Amino acid sequence: MIRIEREAWEVMLSHAGSHYPNECCGAMLGQVDGSRKTVRIAVPMENAWQGERHSRYELRPQDLLRADQEARSQGLDLVGIFHSHPDCDAYFSKTDLENSCPWYSFVILSIRGGRFDHANSFLPNADQTAAEAEEIIHPD
Amino acid sequence: MAKVLIPTPLRQYADKQDSVEIGGATVGEVLAGLTSRYPDLKRQLYSDEGKLRSFVNVYVNDDDIRYLSRDASPVQDGDTISIVPSVAGGNLSNEEILRYSRHLIMPEVGMEGQIRLKNARVLLVGTGGLGSPLGLYLAAAGVGHIGLVDFDVVDFTNLQRQILHGTKDVGRKKLDSAADRMLDINPHIEIIRHEVALTSENALDILKDYEIVVDGTDNFPTRYLVNDACVLLGKPNVYGSIFRFEGQATVFAYPGGPCYRCLYPEPPPPGLVPSCAEGGVLGILPGVIGVVQATETVKLILGKGEPLVGRLMLYDALAMRFRELKLRRNPECPVCGEHPTVRQLIDYHQFCGVPQHEPPPPAGLTEWEVDPLEVKSKMDRGDRFVLIDVREPHEFQICRIPGSRLIPLGELVKRLSELDSAEDIVAHCKSGMRSGKAVDFLRQAGFRKVKNMKGGILAWSDKVDPRVPKY
Repeated sequence: MIRIEREAWEVMLSHAGSHYPNECCGAMLGQVDGSRKTVRIAVPMENAWQGERHSRYELRPQDLLRADQEARSQGLDLVGIFHSHPDCDAYFSKTDLENSCPWYSFVILSIRGGRFDHANSFLPNADQTAAEAEEIIHPD
Repeated sequence: MAKVLIPTPLRQYADKQDSVEIGGATVGEVLAGLTSRYPDLKRQLYSDEGKLRSFVNVYVNDDDIRYLSRDASPVQDGDTISIVPSVAGGNLSNEEILRYSRHLIMPEVGMEGQIRLKNARVLLVGTGGLGSPLGLYLAAAGVGHIGLVDFDVVDFTNLQRQILHGTKDVGRKKLDSAADRMLDINPHIEIIRHEVALTSENALDILKDYEIVVDGTDNFPTRYLVNDACVLLGKPNVYGSIFRFEGQATVFAYPGGPCYRCLYPEPPPPGLVPSCAEGGVLGILPGVIGVVQATETVKLILGKGEPLVGRLMLYDALAMRFRELKLRRNPECPVCGEHPTVRQLIDYHQFCGVPQHEPPPPAGLTEWEVDPLEVKSKMDRGDRFVLIDVREPHEFQICRIPGSRLIPLGELVKRLSELDSAEDIVAHCKSGMRSGKAVDFLRQAGFRKVKNMKGGILAWSDKVDPRVPKY
């Protein structure tokens, strides 16, 4: 289960809205207690995909490195990655799966017409061949 | 000793520690030390083949080891090693999924293939006969980024085969007309317009941004230019050509395959091979050849099937037969061979013996020319003269000047006895080129009172009688 606190959630929605109709992306920092994760801070990042960003995103590893360093300095952990699907359901696409990392939660925000519609979270397996849905709790 | 920071999800495999001190002179040694101390970490970081998993990036302090010496990157005491995932993703919108559903349900395409199509960058050189079916089908197939090179405008003679353009587009730039039509078919794609003639100066710069180049040109200098640029940049050149009722298609400059120069090391002598404007073309023919090119382009993007490499497909519309010739890479090829002599783009107009710009016709009339208005005056005055039309019989059926006599240029030699050198003779054709040759021939045969009607029947239509159609 992943629970996103309001402050982090608003940062994620604002980031997704401002990048619409392109995909946005970022990292989620928080705490882990067994299978329960709490997101306290969302770190918006630049979509580094070299091409049309309407349906693709890429995180720069350097940005994730900095986010990880930031988390450690605040006594938090990097717990997940978020990205948006403009005008599209919050499903975990094959491209998402194949370019994911099994260590983190992947939260997807469906943005329709620039507004938040729904969100889902996924946990990819070690070989990136399948992902299981993770319960998500958010303020909206 | 270096400090290895353990990402939160991996701490369960490392005694719940958030960092570990490990000795080693290189990144490879440190990671080997780490996975030997905590064997459960190995499966998280390495594939069964013993390679770092695709999503694992390793940093020494702030430097990615991919840009250092990878596993051999040196590590010093006090360095911090971080393990950072690489993450990306992508999707198709629901509207696109619906649009491409007939593709998506075929395993050879599927979501993965459709996303490949969406991310592909293809350059179409020319938006004419071949470029039309190419543009329509590649747009419909969802090729995400299509560059178009053309600087021409639509005219009425294009509409018999260039189905990207419509009657309402006559007079518009072909680029605008093509882009409008393609975006109407598929608004999810990007059209990049290059309103230039492709030259040795700009070709590499334009082609470098694309993965596949499709040759829809109609002249030899550009064909050699596209070929050489593709070979130099290592990009496949999906080739097609058409003439009258016959066409050819193949894929040149594919890794290991032949290039256009392997097939045709030298261009034909200038003027030997007529263009479609001179020789005509069945309007449907570029449809067949352009669709073959579009199919090969999509196959190359998907990485499926057997590409048309090392095989020249020949199509004969009159016989309705497809044939195939084997092509081999020529090890002596000056551009793609083992010891290439062409290492940069050359002057292709000079190479093909074609002037870059036709010299402007001399102003006024020479002594062997006559203006159509003067010919009309001679008719009105009732002057005695013979008006010969040296065009082909099927052109004579399209339109003719009253009182003209048809002697096609090719028959002039054997029908010379039909003409009397004592009489005034005016020769004409469509534009004045062929009748100029006829006048030259007649002069050499001793005729002195022979003139060429300047501008041909096209000028007659403009200056004398607009009821005579232009073609």
